[in-house]
Amino acid sequence: MASSTGASGEGQQIRVNFTTTLPDLQLPEDKSQLLVPGDIKRYGLSRVVNSEAMLNTDFSIPLDFLINGTFLRTSLEDYLKDNGLSAETTVTLQYVRSLVPPIYQASFEHDDWVADVDVLSSTSRAGLWAGNSLPQGQHRILSASYDGLLRIWNMSGQVIATSPSTSSKPFPSTDYVPAIKSAKFLDATRVASAGMDQTVRVWKYKEGSDKLSCDIKPTLELLGHTGGIESMDVHTPSSRILTASNTGEIGLWTTSASAAPDAPESALLQANPAKKRKVAVSSGVQKGALSMMQVHSGPVSAVVFHPEDSTAAYSAGQDHTIRTIDLTTSKVVNSMTTAHPLLSLCSVQGISTPLLAAGTSARHITLVDPRVSAITTSVMTLRGHRNFVTSICASPMDSYSLVSGSHDGTCRIWDLRSVRTGSKAEGGGSVSEAVYIIERESQKGQKKKSDIPGQGCKVFGVSWDKQWGIVSGGEDKQVQINKGSDLLAKEDGQ
Amino acid sequence: MAPRSQLKRKASTAAAEAEAATFSDDEFGDGVLEGMLSDDSEDEENSDDEAEEVDGQDEDLDSDEVPSDEDIDEKDVDENDGPRYRVEKDANGGERYVYDEIDPVYDSDDSDAQDPENTIGNIPLKFYGKTIHHSWGLISLRIGYNIDGKKIMRPATGQALDALLDSIEIPQGWTGLTDPATGKPLNLSRDELELLRRVQMQEIPEEGYDPYPEYVPWFTHEEETMPISAAPEPKRRFLPSKHEQQRIMKIVRAIREGRIQPYKPPEEREQEEDEEEEMYDLWANEQAQPPHVMHIPAPKVAPPGFDLSYNPPPEYLPNKDEKKKWEETDPEEREKPYLPQGYDALRKVPAYDIFVKETFERYLSRSLPRPSCQENTLEYRSKLATSKTSPCRRVEAIPTVGAVEYNHGTRVRSVAIDPTGEWVASGGDDGAVKFWELRSGKQMASIRISADEPVNAVRWRPGSAILTAAAGQDVYFIIPPMLDQEVQQANRAALDTGFGYATNGKQATLTSNGARKDPPGTWARPGARLEDQGVLLKITVRADVKVINWHRRGDFFCTVSPTGQRSAVAIHTLSKHLTQIPFRKLPGLAQSAQFHPSRPLLFVALQRTIRVYDLQKQELVKAIQPGARWISSFDIHAASGDHLIVGSYDRRLLWHDLELSARPYKTMRFHPNAIRQVKYSRSFPLFADASDDGTIQLFHGRVHNDLMTDPTLVPLKQLKGHKVVSNLGVMDIDWHPTNPWLVSAGADGMCRLWA
Repeated sequence: MASSTGASGEGQQIRVNFTTTLPDLQLPEDKSQLLVPGDIKRYGLSRVVNSEAMLNTDFSIPLDFLINGTFLRTSLEDYLKDNGLSAETTVTLQYVRSLVPPIYQASFEHDDWVADVDVLSSTSRAGLWAGNSLPQGQHRILSASYDGLLRIWNMSGQVIATSPSTSSKPFPSTDYVPAIKSAKFLDATRVASAGMDQTVRVWKYKEGSDKLSCDIKPTLELLGHTGGIESMDVHTPSSRILTASNTGEIGLWTTSASAAPDAPESALLQANPAKKRKVAVSSGVQKGALSMMQVHSGPVSAVVFHPEDSTAAYSAGQDHTIRTIDLTTSKVVNSMTTAHPLLSLCSVQGISTPLLAAGTSARHITLVDPRVSAITTSVMTLRGHRNFVTSICASPMDSYSLVSGSHDGTCRIWDLRSVRTGSKAEGGGSVSEAVYIIERESQKGQKKKSDIPGQGCKVFGVSWDKQWGIVSGGEDKQVQINKGSDLLAKEDGQ
Repeated sequence: MAPRSQLKRKASTAAAEAEAATFSDDEFGDGVLEGMLSDDSEDEENSDDEAEEVDGQDEDLDSDEVPSDEDIDEKDVDENDGPRYRVEKDANGGERYVYDEIDPVYDSDDSDAQDPENTIGNIPLKFYGKTIHHSWGLISLRIGYNIDGKKIMRPATGQALDALLDSIEIPQGWTGLTDPATGKPLNLSRDELELLRRVQMQEIPEEGYDPYPEYVPWFTHEEETMPISAAPEPKRRFLPSKHEQQRIMKIVRAIREGRIQPYKPPEEREQEEDEEEEMYDLWANEQAQPPHVMHIPAPKVAPPGFDLSYNPPPEYLPNKDEKKKWEETDPEEREKPYLPQGYDALRKVPAYDIFVKETFERYLSRSLPRPSCQENTLEYRSKLATSKTSPCRRVEAIPTVGAVEYNHGTRVRSVAIDPTGEWVASGGDDGAVKFWELRSGKQMASIRISADEPVNAVRWRPGSAILTAAAGQDVYFIIPPMLDQEVQQANRAALDTGFGYATNGKQATLTSNGARKDPPGTWARPGARLEDQGVLLKITVRADVKVINWHRRGDFFCTVSPTGQRSAVAIHTLSKHLTQIPFRKLPGLAQSAQFHPSRPLLFVALQRTIRVYDLQKQELVKAIQPGARWISSFDIHAASGDHLIVGSYDRRLLWHDLELSARPYKTMRFHPNAIRQVKYSRSFPLFADASDDGTIQLFHGRVHNDLMTDPTLVPLKQLKGHKVVSNLGVMDIDWHPTNPWLVSAGADGMCRLWA
């Protein structure tokens, strides 16, 4: 028997015992003991277990192997040597489904910093809202940039549409262009954007038959904010848009031109100043807000709809509070105070109860139970970022993971199931650490310029979709796409 | 007069001398002879009869017709004391006189005792060396007596000229000493000098002595080919030694008789020893005592880990990157003070390389209050501040790390955050004012207001987003392009209202000699190029403006031009386009000026003092003496208005309580270099200073409403990150209006947001 596998000369055979906790991948009792060559590695072991004689699966399942609680990363022989174990003993190998790190896939180059990204696919939120009207395989990325333009990209990294410039310059000599801070797909053919020019725009775009170009036109211009808009959320079924402004106001808008009230006079005056300036395109119908709520005492950094109820919303502000707003009455229902200025917000399904994840300027993410009855507001703290956490997106696949983008130039993937008790220095409570860290591909191999983390590659927007993966945009003028599925271990029995 | 000592002496010596002693000093001359004669006669008489003595005395009486008192005294003494001897019988039955022991009292002329010396107090006169001046007069000192009994007088010392000559031509062996025996200069001979030199060099004094002579093996076991003695081997060499035989037999005999115990089994011996040696536990009954109140236990040192081993497992050894990182970090900031190193044998481990340094530092830390470890002290204090027992435990949010960097390009002289907290303006050496989005760090606009002059100060007008920037003698009003139209219209209106007043022409006053004087400030449009960029108004004053500070209402602001002499401080009214110079004369160079946050007071910092003026009553209210040599900046606590922090170029940060005294309440010296700027946070009990050493220091400064409670001052953190360029570090700082964030301007061309 030794001669059959000992072709490599010094090939040593090691007796292994395969075990698993996965019920669907159990090996028959008599097959779990095996003699394997010593120089075998993870891939070889995985093939052995997947082979006909063993599991006999239809397609091979990548497996990882645990020896004494650690993953096998070298050859079996080397592992034994390193740990001073005898090759004569039987080694127990526990196999689990292999986790794939978020592999870098592509980068889409922009002219200026990318402020926000959104995706359209059959599994994304807008795609689900579009339902059947979304053509098969129409996967798009929408990016909002600091040069005041919206871009729509297809799968192969081509810009199929760039929005026309809409801004009018207050001072002709400055090169200042109001940035678009937030952009979202409404459905397969409509896009909403909002930015520093204090207006919300609804665009209609129609793809040409060649799928490589399309026509994008503003259909509706919503006026009424008196400060720059930092964040926006949309809910297509009820055709509502929520915006968060620097002045502490939250605006509720409708996307249907007929239902929207007229824009206030002052806003109209401002948008169409007395001096006639040539505007590149017709800006569409100008309308006002359904409701303008003064909610926060400081700038509002993020606002999101309640995941199930479109008449409720959550907002996070730099005044340290997260507020629950009833949109039908435009009243603040609940207000929760945290310890730090909040910069981003996202609702997460959570393991047992729905939670809100808020990114802070103190470099961590606070998970908050938004219910009024909740005793402790802060459920968990996700620590690891090294700068402002400016965007968060929940996983589309499961209820317990999320991705966050930060000014430190990384996106981090978090698993809410892995929890430890925080040390005293961390202020106690439950603390979790990132499972994966996605660095900016554009910064690879570049020298670090500054001691401030993420200088030159801050991440401003991140989005996670089942089909696109993790899409993030930032200061490096790139939208980076990383693989987003099979990142975390599945729940047992799934 | 016969001194008493003489009497005693006679009484105590032989009785034969007693006769001679009866003469007084007056008759000393012939009395000696007489005494000798009488001695002889008495000796004879003594040998015959004792009774004769009385006759002898009678004779004495005869010879001295008038007996003197002394004689009577002596007789009395003799009679009182009786004889100084006892008469005993010796072995032959003869008489034997046994005399008493001599008692050498103070006055006795015991020859063993030293001569009484002439002293002044306790000091012998010879110590004075020369003739001394005494209250009795000039006393010339003798050195001693020669063999003839003549006094040896001190030889006349040389004149000053001789001394000088001696000192110029130093003779061989000159010592500069005086021989006490002769009084002459003590010169050493050549031999003596040589001897002294040898002793000094720790050589053997004897000349020519060889301490290590060649060893000559006269007697050796080696058989010489040419022996010294050619005698044949004696017979005794071949015979057993009788002497040895005797000694052996002596031992054998002793053993036989049992005087020597030849052998004892070891157990037995041990037993005996055990019996003999009884051990006592000294501390058996000791009871545990509570430690002394002042006892501070030494900190427990963590047990050494694997990485301290001389040959640690390879995973503990640093790789190249880690090594580099360790070497690059500051020694104070290193995670571990050592770098794990591996050697395959213990003998290859080199000596501890920083042993001397470490020992030295330990010594320093024990013996000195180290000025070099003030940073450590600060860190220690800030650690205390954030610990649970600290009075300011509730400091949660302080800026700790750099969050955003704004690359201005050239040295940034001033930085300011706008009242909404969304934008940052920076002014630098390139004459440009740049606007940044605070959180993202995106440059929004760059306006070059001056081609050659650096921008010295940028400040936002409170309440509205108008930026004032000073470059050279000009102050510019800039409306940043990021704002929306409505606000911009309002700002334009605010800037333009003053034009109606047309104060420019009228304000030009006449001087005493009738010549037209320049107005203190000219308000004008800056020109089309700048107007297109949002720079809408310009004031030109008489000297370079270094500081701008707004009044809280946003209508007045003051500018300070340190070189402006009379017009160093100017107050401008925006709504009227009016420039006023409030002070005819300032007693020093103005450094900075600021309005009181609530009362109509103006604070003007001169080089050494800060003067507080009441603008309504037009009088000096107070002069504050921070005790700094050159004040660089100051700030007034916004909430109370009674507290002041002052930064100075001589590295001091001073906290003033205006109610308390004109002297500083606290002086803090934590920076190795000058402090450029100090600022209170408007919304948190924090303040910070910016220094030329490239660091910013954060302090907790809580002011209590209760006047009796002193403000709490705790140093919190040192923010490091700015590079020092040509001895300049951080030039300016500004606090965020609502968040605990700080923006700093660096000489390295960077602005930073600390959060």
